[in-house]
Amino acid sequence: MNTNSNVYTVIYTTIVVVVVAAVLAFTATRLRPAQDANAKAETLRQMMAAAQIKPTGELYAARNAEVLGIYSDNIAEAFTVDLQGRKVGELSTASGKIELVDKLKPQNTAIKAGEGATLPVYRFKSGITVVPVYGAGLWGPVWGYLALQSDGRTIAGAYFDHEGETPGLGAKIKDEPWFREQFVGKVIDLDASGNPFDIVKGGAGDDASKVDAITGATMTSKGLDQAIDVWISAYVPYLRTLTNSEEE
Amino acid sequence: MAQKLKETILNPILKNNPITVLVLGICSSLAVTVQLKGAIVMALSVIVVTGLSSLVCSLLRNTIPNRVRIIVQLVVVALMVILVDQILKAGESTYAIDKQLSVYIGLIITNCIVMGRIEAFALGNKPIPSLLDGIANGVGYGLILIIVAFFRELLGSGTLFGLQVLPVSYIPNNLVILPPFALILLGCIIWVQRAFDKDLQEK
Amino acid sequence: MEYVSLFVKSIFVDNMIFAYFLGMCSYLAVSKNVKTANGLGLAVIFVLLFTLPINYLLNTYVLQPGALKWLGPQFAEVDLSFLSFIIFIAVIAAFVQVVEMVVEKFLPSLYSSLGIFLPLIAVNCAILGCSLFMQQRDFANIGEAAVYSLGSGIGWYLAIVCLAAIREKMSYCKIPKPLKGIGITFITVGLMGMAFMIFMGIQL
Repeated sequence: MNTNSNVYTVIYTTIVVVVVAAVLAFTATRLRPAQDANAKAETLRQMMAAAQIKPTGELYAARNAEVLGIYSDNIAEAFTVDLQGRKVGELSTASGKIELVDKLKPQNTAIKAGEGATLPVYRFKSGITVVPVYGAGLWGPVWGYLALQSDGRTIAGAYFDHEGETPGLGAKIKDEPWFREQFVGKVIDLDASGNPFDIVKGGAGDDASKVDAITGATMTSKGLDQAIDVWISAYVPYLRTLTNSEEE
Repeated sequence: MAQKLKETILNPILKNNPITVLVLGICSSLAVTVQLKGAIVMALSVIVVTGLSSLVCSLLRNTIPNRVRIIVQLVVVALMVILVDQILKAGESTYAIDKQLSVYIGLIITNCIVMGRIEAFALGNKPIPSLLDGIANGVGYGLILIIVAFFRELLGSGTLFGLQVLPVSYIPNNLVILPPFALILLGCIIWVQRAFDKDLQEK
Repeated sequence: MEYVSLFVKSIFVDNMIFAYFLGMCSYLAVSKNVKTANGLGLAVIFVLLFTLPINYLLNTYVLQPGALKWLGPQFAEVDLSFLSFIIFIAVIAAFVQVVEMVVEKFLPSLYSSLGIFLPLIAVNCAILGCSLFMQQRDFANIGEAAVYSLGSGIGWYLAIVCLAAIREKMSYCKIPKPLKGIGITFITVGLMGMAFMIFMGIQL
């Protein structure tokens, strides 16, 4: 058989492409529900780690079902707001049909476009409000959750994650507890338009709205800084309502 | 036959090491050698992927049309890596492992070692030697990765496997965790290797 | 103006070799003399210039979540992003195959000196890396993607020609025997990389 003839080449390539596409599509659709369940539990773990509901290690040791249970027990309400800070939708918190906005990329596009965003807000019974942030790191997306005290400004905790940052450099935003711990007690500057919080290289010191970046991971730190600026600015109208109700 | 098999297995580890002699797979060896742990995860994944994809390509070797061989090889490699990723992602207990691994997925697919071994060995040899060649090259690659990572983590963070080894008074050298230093370190490893093995020296 | 700054940035600030260290294997192995380096560099520019816009179109209209909306509203939910790796790499490999055939036919001397590394352009991390960067940077239109690919290609070309020139000069130097060849090249690239770090973080 002549494996170099044109007909053979075309047929062979077609078969390879069809087989590969079929195998991939089959596994992707069959495994999607299980993957989604894992991803949802992961999101809940990160949110609750930020909100300090339970220690991070304990949340990661718990099985998916337990994590859903812990969430249902501790959440007060979850809803979505638009860019003017108005409530636009409810997210179910009943165990068994927990709803989340875990696709952050389309929301990121909507924030940048200035319209159409439905941003999730998760309010826990402890009085803590958790909001997500999302942006581009060096290799792929970086995202995280900021937990705010009831005044809507003081940070109670944070958790960050990434898709493919360099291990030992950018990946430290997730791997090194000191990085997220330095956010605790810092304050979001609701009046600084567009730049409510800073991750800076060295010398953040006692500045209330600054934390230290990671050495050798300039792009990741910058990406995360931008993510926080863009997302928190989008939340400012809503966060102001929290601040105002606190003062009254 | 036995002699040839032995060579297939031992050659890639020293005499024909993919990184220091064949100069393949450099990008990933710069990216993942800041910490020992990352280097070991990467080394294990590459061993599995080179072994398996060499095996599959060797099985297909007589049917692949010469003109599209690169596409077919790449598709085989990418398919396997993505499949493993998808399956790990679906299991509740394996999800955490996948999160560790997903960082390397892109790096594994484009790792020239995988392709280089398929081109140079698997397409002309029987499945079993190809499998062994793939695994041995993965081991040779992993060995260098671990040596580089050892020095970079020790000097760059003062730790090994995340545990403090050097006294706290040691100020970590930030240059060491930047990629250029990995290149210089690799140059030094080659220097040492060639000082012992005169056959490898270039004229 | 935006195009100009994107162009300059992708050549110097985001240089594929010195900022991201992508495409190292062929970079180190094919930089022995300026002539072959020139050939490979041009091949990389050429491949990048065509594959990136193709991948951009595929990503925008086929792969990303909701990209299939133009087929009708019932496709708005389709998410084919799990295919993106394999599609990107298939486009690149197919294109490289074409280039390989053309070079073999018309420039046999270049073909024999590039040897195994021509097929390896397909796994040149710089080219796939470029496509993946494109995916996450959300370029506004195909023009930006094309400018970015041209800039990255030229950056890679400059880097390999510089290294080849240094290596040609270095053959007159006294270098310890075991360090000759690839050993000293690694160290040279390391030093060049440090020099390029001056561009890091420059905003245009």
